Amino acid sequence: MSAREIRVQYYALLREQAGRSDETLTTAARDPRELYAELRTRYPFTLPPEMLRVAINAEFGEWSQPLKAGDAVVFIPPVAGG
Amino acid sequence: MSPFRFSTDALDTAALQRALRDERCGGFASFEGWVRNHNEGHAVTRLEYEAFTELAEKEGARIVEEARTKFGVTRAACAHRVGSLALGDVAVWVGVSAAHRDEAFRACRFIIDEVKHRVPIWKKEHYVNGDSGWVNCERCAMPAAHTHEHEHQHAVHAPAPDYSRQIALREVGVEGQAQLRSASVLVVGAGGLGVPVLQYLAGAGVGRLGIIDADRLEPSNLHRQTWYALSECGQEKSSLAAARVSALNPEVRVEAHALRLDAHNAERLCAGHDLILDCSDNFATKFLLNDLALRTGKPVMFASVYQYEGQLQLVRGDSATAFLRCVWPDARDGLVGNCAEAGVLGPVPGVFGSLQALEALKFLLGLPGLKPGEMLIFDLITLRTQRLRAHRQPECEAHRRAASSGELQAPDELEVHFSSLADAASAGFAFVDVRDSREREAEPLPADTLHLPMSKLLTDAAKLALTGRYLMICATGKRSAAAAALLRSQGFLECRSLRGGLKSLKVSA
Repeated sequence: MSAREIRVQYYALLREQAGRSDETLTTAARDPRELYAELRTRYPFTLPPEMLRVAINAEFGEWSQPLKAGDAVVFIPPVAGG
Repeated sequence: MSPFRFSTDALDTAALQRALRDERCGGFASFEGWVRNHNEGHAVTRLEYEAFTELAEKEGARIVEEARTKFGVTRAACAHRVGSLALGDVAVWVGVSAAHRDEAFRACRFIIDEVKHRVPIWKKEHYVNGDSGWVNCERCAMPAAHTHEHEHQHAVHAPAPDYSRQIALREVGVEGQAQLRSASVLVVGAGGLGVPVLQYLAGAGVGRLGIIDADRLEPSNLHRQTWYALSECGQEKSSLAAARVSALNPEVRVEAHALRLDAHNAERLCAGHDLILDCSDNFATKFLLNDLALRTGKPVMFASVYQYEGQLQLVRGDSATAFLRCVWPDARDGLVGNCAEAGVLGPVPGVFGSLQALEALKFLLGLPGLKPGEMLIFDLITLRTQRLRAHRQPECEAHRRAASSGELQAPDELEVHFSSLADAASAGFAFVDVRDSREREAEPLPADTLHLPMSKLLTDAAKLALTGRYLMICATGKRSAAAAALLRSQGFLECRSLRGGLKSLKVSA
């Protein structure tokens, strides 16, 4: 599959480890799992995908859900502070 | 004539009883409260009562009417003295006539209990030694609140709470105010989130507030828990919060519980509340509340913060929407930092606690807001908000069935307590140190300890045997719990974490 633009947002620990809140990427990743694997080569993400949730276009989604051009992908770790 | 009256003269109990005579009634029950000669170790010589008469009469009449409806009794009345009373005087009288004795007794008991809790009456005790003091025992009679009630002074002529600014809202009005007054909310955690939540719910006149917090105030809490005072450090937060609620709004019935919510007490503590607000800082509590929502159908609103951001989620047990576990099936404490580990800017829990209070009031008033199953994420660095829809996971259905048939599950024993490393070794554990090399040098563990820092945990996990009985160790028990959880998810099922970390060994030694 050819590369296309995906908008990615990071929260909590991921934001800290990526050093940014969001970015627009050109990627060939077919689904969030591949996208996260690609991002782990660039950023020191310590959390495995099993510990995160992914949301695509404002809906919690699956790691195997196909990505389309223009999708907004959010990686969210659990937080418990209070 | 109002069924609740104040009197500056001695109560004529015979006349009061005559007024309740009714040929339909087969029973009459009454209660008299007398002025006694001592209170909490002080010898008392006489008493003075004062009341906000107008407000108090309305509330008293409401209580008597409630009792008549609730127990189906024929007639009921209550009279309360104000002014100066001598020892032995009748301070309060309650009478109920009914067809049968049972409802007469129960209604009588209900009226006196509610009057003591809800009607604003102040009592000034005069002691043998010449001292005197205003005590508000009548209104702070909840057992848990009893320890703090004498520490704060009640203004004798304080004005009555005034909700006019919110009643003015078309969506609230007098009816909405009555709804808030009849509502009962349990707030789990009186920290960064719980403080603004309690402030706004008490201010709004929510009728009953339960507070659960096992912690004592620490100086490091105060940058975000700005309701408390530095001089109060070391005191139980639940009691401090209850005292603040009573000072802000004496109409609120407040109950403080200085304990940690667990599988055994959760159901009892949540019973009788219309809404549970999770203001806790750990997943063990959050999942316990999630499971309680599953089991009992009670709505729970969750809030969690991290550094500059947070998440808000409403779970309704009676709807088909997502639960917390649908979103986070595997979340564990220690995996990502809490406020102590990761840091937090004070106003961040302030914002989320305020949002939680706002959503709670809207929920009680039936106004639109966060939908069940929906998660609000607010990043306070970029000021970006997201509302994410979550879906019910099939496992949650299975979980709901399991939950409805049995006890709440205590979290599995990921963490274990030992008083010494020698005890742990004799229990057959091999040690795994997850601290970094600097910490390890400063405080070395026995020579045969494996060193597996958090950053290399998964890559180096191959050094461990799948069936090995390992005890993960760090300074405070947080990282080691996360490490044990992570390793368990990778199949190392015999991993445990030393509860409280090395710090706990020092304390017990």
